[in-house]
Amino acid sequence: MTSVTTTIPVNRDIKAELKRQAEEMRCDFARRGTLVINMLSSPGAGKTSLLEATAKHWRGQRRMAVLVGDLATDRDAQRLAPHCPVEQLTTGGACHLEIPLVQRGLEKLGSNDFEFLFIENVGNLVCPASHDLAEHLRVVLLSVTEGDDKPGKYPKMFRTSDAVVISKSDLLPHVPFSVDAAIVDARLIQPDLETFTVCALTDGGIEKWCQFLERARDRMISAVNVTAETVTP
Amino acid sequence: MHEASLVRALLTQVGKLLTGHNGATVEVVRVEIGPLSGVEPTLVEIAFQQQVDATPCCGATLKIKEVPLTAVCRDCSNEFNIESFRFQCIACGSNQVRITHGDEFRLLDVELRTASPVTTQPN
Repeated sequence: MTSVTTTIPVNRDIKAELKRQAEEMRCDFARRGTLVINMLSSPGAGKTSLLEATAKHWRGQRRMAVLVGDLATDRDAQRLAPHCPVEQLTTGGACHLEIPLVQRGLEKLGSNDFEFLFIENVGNLVCPASHDLAEHLRVVLLSVTEGDDKPGKYPKMFRTSDAVVISKSDLLPHVPFSVDAAIVDARLIQPDLETFTVCALTDGGIEKWCQFLERARDRMISAVNVTAETVTP
Repeated sequence: MHEASLVRALLTQVGKLLTGHNGATVEVVRVEIGPLSGVEPTLVEIAFQQQVDATPCCGATLKIKEVPLTAVCRDCSNEFNIESFRFQCIACGSNQVRITHGDEFRLLDVELRTASPVTTQPN
């Protein structure tokens, strides 16, 4: 009885299947007219506050929903519930959200008739960067109390993002934070980053932020229509 | 620390390769990790050791190939290695660079040992 060793070549990204699923979901969302935004930041940077301000700004005009991820509690969902449909995704110990959790959240939301779906990720600038959640836009928040040297320290997060929102701008007079330095540092990693400075408590910068999202959704819809025209003779 | 869940996904994929290879055991799992893969090789190794024996890949060894982050410049087509996450062309200074390798955690290949005797093909 001899044994034989066989090498089976694979050469595939370990997340290839998840990436394929994410791509499929992204196309479905686009066809339904739902722009999906993955919101990332360290804990306490102001993701929920920004979403509250966004929902208030759009009240009665735009349909948005939020899936919010946390290790424990439904505190963020409770804060958002008066403003828009929201589902809390509790990860237990997991430091990031993955596609299956998002799918579960979508089932609980019931309706899929939203113009904007925000996925508020677990507060963490590391692991969530590696997980595609079928988003059209990845937005990273950086609050002025965290320091303007952060982008260079978290290259994957900033490299894979489409926009940076600098939050808590009302605190700028009290902290040694340079908005310009933070933006320069972030653009060394991702030159095409869109940047916004907001203060969710006073509504500062919220209109510009919402307009950016509206334009992104318009572009997404145009791209879907172009594809449809190409396919249909 | 998300290495544990990625290693679980890796072991599931390797386990699936065993289907169709009756009685085979996994000897070696070869993976590639780049600087922008979002995983730390040491933590992958630890997660693998913790999980492997409870899976059909029991007894397998993990071999990690660490690869550099490489890019191509969109402006001058120069291909280069990105050091210290400086996303800038080392030839022309452009920051319009496309990453070509080193941003993934890839399964390269799997060595299986089949216990069945080698049958000599008749001439």
